[in-house]
Amino acid sequence: MGRPNTGKSSLYNRVTGGSARVGNFPGITVDVLEATVELEGSKGALRVVDLPGLYSFDSELDADTDEGAARAFIEREQRDNAPFAVLQVLDATQLSLSLRLTKELLGQASRVALVLTQSDVLASEGRTCDVAALSKAVGVEVIAVSSREASTRDAVIALAQRVLDGPARELSAGTFDPEQVARAVLSDTATVDEQQRKRREFTERLDRWLLHRTLGPALFVLTMVLLFGAVFLVAEPASGAMDATTKWLGAKLSPRLGGGYLASFVTDGIIGGAGTVLAFLPQIVVLTIALELLDASGYLARGVFLIDRLLRVFGLGGKAFVPLLTAHACAVPAIRATRILRDPRERLVTLLVLPLMTCSARLPTYSLLISTFFAHRGALFQATVFVSLFAAGVLSGAVASAVLRKTVVRGRPLPLVLEMPAYRAPEPAFVRKATARGVRNFLSDVGTTIVAASAVLWVLLNVPMPGAAVDPSLQNAPAAVVRVNRSVAASFGRALEPVTRFAGFDWRINVGLVGSFGARELMVGTLGVIHGLEDVGDDPTPLRAQLRAARTADGRPRYDTRTALSLMVFFIFACQCMSTVAALRRETRSWRWPLFVLAYTYVVAFVAAAIVYNVAGWFSR
Amino acid sequence: MTESHATLAHAEPMVDVRIVALHGDRHELPWLRALGLYEGQEVKVLRRAPFGGPMHVRVGAGGEFAVDVALAGHIEVETVTRPVGT
Repeated sequence: MGRPNTGKSSLYNRVTGGSARVGNFPGITVDVLEATVELEGSKGALRVVDLPGLYSFDSELDADTDEGAARAFIEREQRDNAPFAVLQVLDATQLSLSLRLTKELLGQASRVALVLTQSDVLASEGRTCDVAALSKAVGVEVIAVSSREASTRDAVIALAQRVLDGPARELSAGTFDPEQVARAVLSDTATVDEQQRKRREFTERLDRWLLHRTLGPALFVLTMVLLFGAVFLVAEPASGAMDATTKWLGAKLSPRLGGGYLASFVTDGIIGGAGTVLAFLPQIVVLTIALELLDASGYLARGVFLIDRLLRVFGLGGKAFVPLLTAHACAVPAIRATRILRDPRERLVTLLVLPLMTCSARLPTYSLLISTFFAHRGALFQATVFVSLFAAGVLSGAVASAVLRKTVVRGRPLPLVLEMPAYRAPEPAFVRKATARGVRNFLSDVGTTIVAASAVLWVLLNVPMPGAAVDPSLQNAPAAVVRVNRSVAASFGRALEPVTRFAGFDWRINVGLVGSFGARELMVGTLGVIHGLEDVGDDPTPLRAQLRAARTADGRPRYDTRTALSLMVFFIFACQCMSTVAALRRETRSWRWPLFVLAYTYVVAFVAAAIVYNVAGWFSR
Repeated sequence: MTESHATLAHAEPMVDVRIVALHGDRHELPWLRALGLYEGQEVKVLRRAPFGGPMHVRVGAGGEFAVDVALAGHIEVETVTRPVGT
């Protein structure tokens, strides 16, 4: 354990050989990495755990945040009398700050030793740290290492074993003065300021540009636009490739399963659902890599610095920016990303508004509606509608946050205090591992829910409603269309029609909305099925033509621009995503908040859609 | 040697100040001290974010922080003057 940015993870990688996995610890939801290290001479094995960075044991912390998890872990192991040793990692170049934490740690854990990192940096500056004097002053064993040297692994493991085998100390916080000790044990302290100043020069030069009062925000916006561009650049080909793969797999499997109901269930319900999840993966990979690079380089903290004031207007803080940005790819990893927020109220509000951000799953529906009903307006108009939809997501999140902060989640926000680490080159191994972790989390969080939603939707669309009559106008229609018409989903859709017609939604759109209740990416496919079209995911052209050509009994167009606007507004607000609901349940440990999100987003979505539909009606008269 | 008492929120950029007292609640104080913002520490304001945003400060014990302006108003400081030549 140790303060953030002390080289803890580099040391951990050196000791474990990078074989870390996310541990499963009761009561701790935050990712805590653990690995097993075999001891030489078959002396058994050590379980090595990398705790999230922690500044202090004394300040009040929510156990669901990264810092809170580190503290809760140590407290629990100590309480359970587990055979465990705490190795605190100290940055030799910021010794007095690390020693403040040591003082508190000595009152929390009975088997403690200190590992001094960056000793190579100290040495390169012609300085040394008197390890023996430090050990004497603090009262526990201390070693100095460099994470770059291979011998570090054995030194740290041997230290852990000595501490585990040695006597347990009485729990009592240290009585030493961290600054005095730091001054006493570091040689050549007179030049510390000079040396540190030299190392800071690079960061200062960059900050002069990147945190410039006008240039800084502009560069930050540019970085975010590039990041978005990269995410969307991979979105289109990825979903195309995934559609092709699932279609190919379906065609291979369908004959083997007899081509009937079972084949349809497996290929459309299960494989189709899995394909939807995998189509998002490339975006998640790009976003995770980009965010890890920004974080590890030190720039993300600068972004938080620049955007904090703006987010305060809406009752959030600068750190909420990271989950809000992530939610533009997918709300589910964004929900995990809220763990960096120390303020429990800010974290809750962020969780409650994340589903309003325009995630990629909304894009196929937006794209279908824009290309169907605004094609005659030209490319620039269509692009403007698209950008407006994104802006509407951000704006609705901002308004919702401001309202929630004044009503449901009241209270003074914790002010921002954020470490601004020096710029440094990110380590590729970290970025690789963080990305792998992001992908694993995404698949486990989203995968099962979407596949389940897709399977349930298949059942609703294919199982006939008992007693449902077939529409006489469908006598010559294809069997698939007749089947959908008699299905449970169609009965739901018709039952909802008296209410939803205020927003311009007929039963067919309602079936789409029922289908996309579990996962909004299923909307376009469901609309296709209702109109007797397969695989509209590959090519929505026939669906566009059908939507435009559809007529009501009295010959008027069934859908028009008003319907499109109304449906888009519904999609801006409604939390049509069971993966999000499940993730909210996990993070808030209650059903209260996920149900609140479902209720408020659906009510707002429907009311807003009805208003837009009716107001647009006045203009079109 | 000291000159004047004020809060960090009003400190001039690039001027060394020393923290003389922290005023805050039980949530804020341990957290500030753990970060390195404690009595006796020298601090320098490097810059302020636009539109009344946070302050970018450097702490003598090492490390740089973004600190909310309202919170900086709870950190009482005095100007550090050094004898010429050091």
